[in-house]
Amino acid sequence: MNEHIAVTGLAFLLGDNVNTDLNCSNKYLPGKDVDYVAQHAFEQLSPGIAANINTAGGGVIVAGKHFGINSSREQAAHVLKKMGVRAIVAQSFGRQFFRNAINNGLPVFECDTTGIEEGQSLTLDLSAGTLVCDSHITQRSHPLPSEILAILSMGGLIPFLQKYPDWKFA
Amino acid sequence: MGSTIVEKILARHADQDYVQAGEVVVADIDYAMVTDTRAVNTIKMIDRFGEQPLQFAQKTSLVLDHYSPPPNQEAADIHTAMRTFAKSRGTGLYDIGDGICHQVLPEGGHLTCGDLVVGTDTHSVTYGAFNAFGTGIEGTDVSAVMMSSKLWFRVPETVRIDLQGELAAGVWAKDITLAMLGRFGAEGLNYHAIEYVGDAVRAMAIDDRMTLCNHAAELGAKAAILEPDEKTFAWLRAHGAKTPEPTFADANAQYTDRLIIDVTNLAPQLARKHEVDDIVGVDQIDKQKIQFALIGTCTNGRLDDIRQAASILKGRKLADGVRMIVTPASRQIYLAALREGLIEILSTAGASFDSAGCGTCVGITNRLVPGDGDTVISTANRNFKGRLTNKNADIWLGSAATVAASALTGYITDPRTVEGGTWRSAA
Repeated sequence: MNEHIAVTGLAFLLGDNVNTDLNCSNKYLPGKDVDYVAQHAFEQLSPGIAANINTAGGGVIVAGKHFGINSSREQAAHVLKKMGVRAIVAQSFGRQFFRNAINNGLPVFECDTTGIEEGQSLTLDLSAGTLVCDSHITQRSHPLPSEILAILSMGGLIPFLQKYPDWKFA
Repeated sequence: MGSTIVEKILARHADQDYVQAGEVVVADIDYAMVTDTRAVNTIKMIDRFGEQPLQFAQKTSLVLDHYSPPPNQEAADIHTAMRTFAKSRGTGLYDIGDGICHQVLPEGGHLTCGDLVVGTDTHSVTYGAFNAFGTGIEGTDVSAVMMSSKLWFRVPETVRIDLQGELAAGVWAKDITLAMLGRFGAEGLNYHAIEYVGDAVRAMAIDDRMTLCNHAAELGAKAAILEPDEKTFAWLRAHGAKTPEPTFADANAQYTDRLIIDVTNLAPQLARKHEVDDIVGVDQIDKQKIQFALIGTCTNGRLDDIRQAASILKGRKLADGVRMIVTPASRQIYLAALREGLIEILSTAGASFDSAGCGTCVGITNRLVPGDGDTVISTANRNFKGRLTNKNADIWLGSAATVAASALTGYITDPRTVEGGTWRSAA
């Protein structure tokens, strides 16, 4: 299998050190479900972002350093997908968030995000490791290896293993 | 080009000659652990796959430690589900009071040098004390391991930290790791593996080595790993571990950084309230009163910690207005402390013992709640506001020596200034 995954969407900006437990899970909203959290996620950091992504029919979150740091809630990935987030682009990711995103079929792209502005149109090619922004910025990341591309294209690690229980998918 | 310890372990488990930091590999797992905080989702995911035999069940333990003993029916029901799952699917199970996952796994002989071990808890880095690659993962990850015995990993970059010199008596691995948090900041080594080497590490007993690796979680490390030596092998043999595969870095391995730190003049360190990286030397603290002293957790609930506390409190009483709770990291440690007479010494001094588990660390057991305005001094690894459920209490972190010395005087106290505070482990 030679996966080619491309993602397009408008950029929605967040800053450095976004804690996804705090801003994108029900850890501090006991009893609230994914739908509720998806309508209010990141409200403190960027008022209206959930509604704006919804109006745009989806989008790409662009952040600074350490997106998801200090946070391990796997629910954050479910919330982001529910919000219509198609990928996260950041300068770096918290370790467990990075795993959770891939395991739940949400593409993550690590590169320099300087100069990308709110609302610009982005095209990510995860297999090639390139990001093109409509202001003609092109950034490169490590191309994601075939295992990760396969997991993403199946929608996450569990669906991937249901199809390829021995991890052999070539 | 040479390899670091984690690169070698990951290469061997991915059936490759060589792997390099940054690449992603699919690796065979040696052992997996699931705690009660992640069990419900994990069981749900596995049940979704149907009833086919779980090939990895014999290399998996479920550990009932965070809600131990259960504070409410919800937690008790989680435990019931775990016992049922373990029995029907053939995994191991450590029940309430058996101990904290990171203590019972090595004690149970489930891991050895060169192993790749995963657990649903950030402090799974503790296994690095035995030259194993241990790392924390989430529910989906561990479900995948139980179903396929493999998992994907991005190979981490490594920082090599050479701890030279000799720790002063009364100064412990806890103080080194708090000093590291002061230097790098919380999550300051996010995603990195740490190789701790040097004379100060070799001089440490296994208990202290486990503290050193355990606390690397607060630095954001994916792994913290030591070179094995005769002490490692002897400990593993005594606990029935399988034949070790000792793994060392090559002299020409690539590191993102190499640091040399002399620990000879290190004073006992403290994390001040609310921030795990707000670090000061104990000598810089003036008359800070405390009301509640806690010894326990996967960081510092081991036998040497309890011995150190007993050496300070033997034949004495806690200061007026101070209460103290000791939570051994495992039932084996509890029993050893009992046989050595440490429980009698500490109980006579006014301390209480709680059953082995995570209770001392986080307020979810609801039995160690501080009152409004209380200052807690604890051997735990985290001190976020409200960690013990009351946001109007402050939590400071220090070694078992510092906690016991402070419980004796009622103020945060340098253990080297009280009798028995310079007790040393026989290592």
